[in-house]
Amino acid sequence: MKLNVNRHRIAVRINWKYIAIGLAVLPFAAVFVAWLGFFNIGAASGHWRITELFLQLAMRSAVRTYAIGIEEPEAFDRGAILPAAGHFARGCATCHGAPGEPRPAMVKAMLPRPPRLERAVHAWDDAQLFRIVKRGIRFTGMPAWPTQMRDDEVWGMVAFLRRLPDLDPEEYRNLAYGPAKRSRASGFNGSFDAALAGCARCHGMDGLGRSAFVPVIAGQHRAYFVESLRAYAAGERASGIMELAATEADRKLWQRLAEYYASLPATEDEQSAADAERIARGRRIAQYGVPRRDIPACLGCHGRPDRNPVYPQLDGQKRPYLENQLRLFAEGERGGTDYAHLMTEFASRLERKEIESLAAYFASRQVQRGKAE
Amino acid sequence: MKAQSVAAYLLPVGCLVAGCSDAQSVLNPHGAEAESIALLFWITAIGGALIWLAVVGALIYAGRRHRKPYSQASAARLVLWAGAVVPSILLAVLLGYALALIPDLRPLAASADDDRLHIEVIGEQFWWRVIYHPPDGQPVVSANEVRLPVGERVTFSLKSTDVIHSFWIPPLGGKMDMIPGRTNTFSLKATKAGIFRSPCTEFCGPSHALMAFTAVAMKPGRFDRWLANEGKEAVNGKPGLKPFLANGCGACHAIRGTEADGAVGPDLTHLASRKTLAAGSLPNTEDAIARFIAEPDEVKPGVRMPAFGMLPQDEIDAIAAYLARLE
Ligand code: HEC
Ligand code: HEC
Ligand code: HEC
Ligand code: HEC
Ligand SMILES: [Cu+2]
Repeated sequence: MKLNVNRHRIAVRINWKYIAIGLAVLPFAAVFVAWLGFFNIGAASGHWRITELFLQLAMRSAVRTYAIGIEEPEAFDRGAILPAAGHFARGCATCHGAPGEPRPAMVKAMLPRPPRLERAVHAWDDAQLFRIVKRGIRFTGMPAWPTQMRDDEVWGMVAFLRRLPDLDPEEYRNLAYGPAKRSRASGFNGSFDAALAGCARCHGMDGLGRSAFVPVIAGQHRAYFVESLRAYAAGERASGIMELAATEADRKLWQRLAEYYASLPATEDEQSAADAERIARGRRIAQYGVPRRDIPACLGCHGRPDRNPVYPQLDGQKRPYLENQLRLFAEGERGGTDYAHLMTEFASRLERKEIESLAAYFASRQVQRGKAE
Repeated sequence: MKAQSVAAYLLPVGCLVAGCSDAQSVLNPHGAEAESIALLFWITAIGGALIWLAVVGALIYAGRRHRKPYSQASAARLVLWAGAVVPSILLAVLLGYALALIPDLRPLAASADDDRLHIEVIGEQFWWRVIYHPPDGQPVVSANEVRLPVGERVTFSLKSTDVIHSFWIPPLGGKMDMIPGRTNTFSLKATKAGIFRSPCTEFCGPSHALMAFTAVAMKPGRFDRWLANEGKEAVNGKPGLKPFLANGCGACHAIRGTEADGAVGPDLTHLASRKTLAAGSLPNTEDAIARFIAEPDEVKPGVRMPAFGMLPQDEIDAIAAYLARLE
């Protein structure tokens, strides 16, 4: 190639061969420099100001871009805030702190340092918070949600984060620890009492669940209870909240926890008279199914006192929880024990109205106490 | 060519025509409808063969050596008669004959006659619900098998709950579509006893090829005894009933005389009296029942029964042993 500039002839020869060789050598040179090890990866000295500005820009822009198109649910359900708070205390507060709770000094030496979320959440809209909490942030230590299968738990967390700036320490402790009222989240490991206190933060000592989205586990079949914990821990039943709880509680204690909760009485939900019609509709499906659409009679599996002990007790269970589980089955996101496909096969054919009726019916059902398996 | 080798060539051809199995062949008529169709077939086939021979003969005649050309007038006459008049007459006769058969094949007022046996058959992915309505007596629910008495005209009403299926008992008659939201009626009369295979003849999903029922034409007396037994409750008391109920099989299946009253899948009250299992997919043996319980989805892709392979093997075996004895 030749360039003619004015009358002087300046010949700039671009030799393509050298460029090709240069490009080929470049990766090796880069590896060589890295291998020399002069690049400082220590966290102590922090980033240069310019690096930090660049990284912040990249992170914020990426969150903004990836949050486009995330659909927000119509309304956050208040019942979902409580288990989110319980999860926050174990899964997030260590790094981010919580009202009235300082963080370990170690965390402040992280690079980047996890921000106090009471102050940081204002900078994000709901979809952006959802994106951060669900997918995490690479290279920072901010973890992704333990399961990518379902979004409702993450939205619950977003709803909690929105509440967070207004919570005083007392309110926070009440949400996150409840009756256990421990000043800090206790570890699950170790003694049975400590494990039980851990479960009780969400499920209560009575096993009735402290919010509409925490299921009643009092009176639940032991086999189903233990199999469910196994499925949560193995990631076969999708729940970020219970995956953390199940993996933290010592496996050897599962059976005893199951026995403890199985022995407690479950009480039924109070139904308003307006629900009578809905309950009647649910009862019809539960008793006879909808053979035309291959929907089986629920009571054939869930109603018999002598049933397979892995078939859970639904009587007196919470309505929002039941609706949510049926929706998860229908969308193929629930997972569960080795028996879970029995539900998945037909749940996608249930209509929304039928799900509501069935949930209302089972919530209203007097607990059938069979052989306490 | 020796006669033997001619036979060897013709055999596969004949086999092709007959569908290779008498149990599923229209050329093996056992019913009034199938007989008239078979006769129509033979008349058309033999007539067609004769015409073909005549045409080929004329061709050879026309191609002989030392031929003299026809005059313009006689050529025109030949074309008129052999090319237009005779074929039109033959086709008109054939059409008239075939049209005359129709009223007997599709009696319009099939359902009006109330004092004869009426069988309701409902196609579902991928099996057949069969309900007998005897003129005097209670309806009897069964599945995957259609039995009818020889010598009596039987009314069928055909329905579907999901997609279009089609009902055909080749040696007896049919075929008629089963259309969701409609009831199609027609009738059949078996003239000889026999056991036939009746495949679904309208593509209906991944296991369409595994959706067939057994049709049994039997002597009227035997049929009445069979129907009386089919209407009875199951003989009870085997140990396999307990795991059957505890694992929720009763949510989908009925076994009359027990607590199982599900209506999603086939009625199992007299499962063991059926010739085949799962709508012609497996032989009806205890082992096959156990296999079907454990992996129905392997046997029939897309089946509407969940697999129970996660049950302990001894429970599966106990259930299979129980079901295999429900005569
Ligand atoms: C191991 C420590 C750690 C844990 C546990 C953790 N985070 Fe983070 N998180 C971080 C770090 C570090 C950042 C900062 C990322 C950055 O600035 O680029 C962060 C950032 C965030 C942000 C964005 C805040 C902002 O303005 O930068 C949110 C929101 C958040 N985390 C929520 C959560 C939630 C909810 C949980 C619990 C489910 C959680 N985090 C658990 C370390 C953690
Ligand atoms: C942070 C709140 C929280 C804690 C702590 C917690 N759970 Fe849960 N638990 C939940 C929620 C929420 C669900 C419903 C999850 C789902 O949607 O699958 C659940 C579900 C369950 C189920 C399944 C119930 C069913 O009907 O399917 C069992 C069993 C259970 N928890 C036991 C425990 C035990 C044992 C512990 C203590 C080791 C514990 N949980 C700790 C919130 C919690
Ligand atoms: C063939 C047996 C069977 C039938 C029929 C059946 N279920 Fe289930 N169901 C199960 C099993 C097994 C589970 C446990 C799944 C798991 O977690 O592994 C379950 C779980 C559930 C759960 C979740 C319970 C919890 O605590 O998380 C709900 C809700 C439910 N079923 C509702 C229904 C409804 C409503 C019907 C009727 C339309 C029905 N089931 C019919 C077997 C059945
Ligand atoms: C969710 C509903 C459902 C449940 C639960 C169910 N089945 Fe089925 N079953 C079906 C359907 C639908 C068919 C028809 C399958 C086909 O041939 O396409 C069937 C077919 C069968 C057949 C073959 C019947 C015949 O006429 O040849 C047997 C045997 C059987 N099931 C046994 C069982 C046993 C034993 C259980 C319990 C362990 C069970 N089923 C649970 C729906 C169910
Ligand atoms: Cu079909």
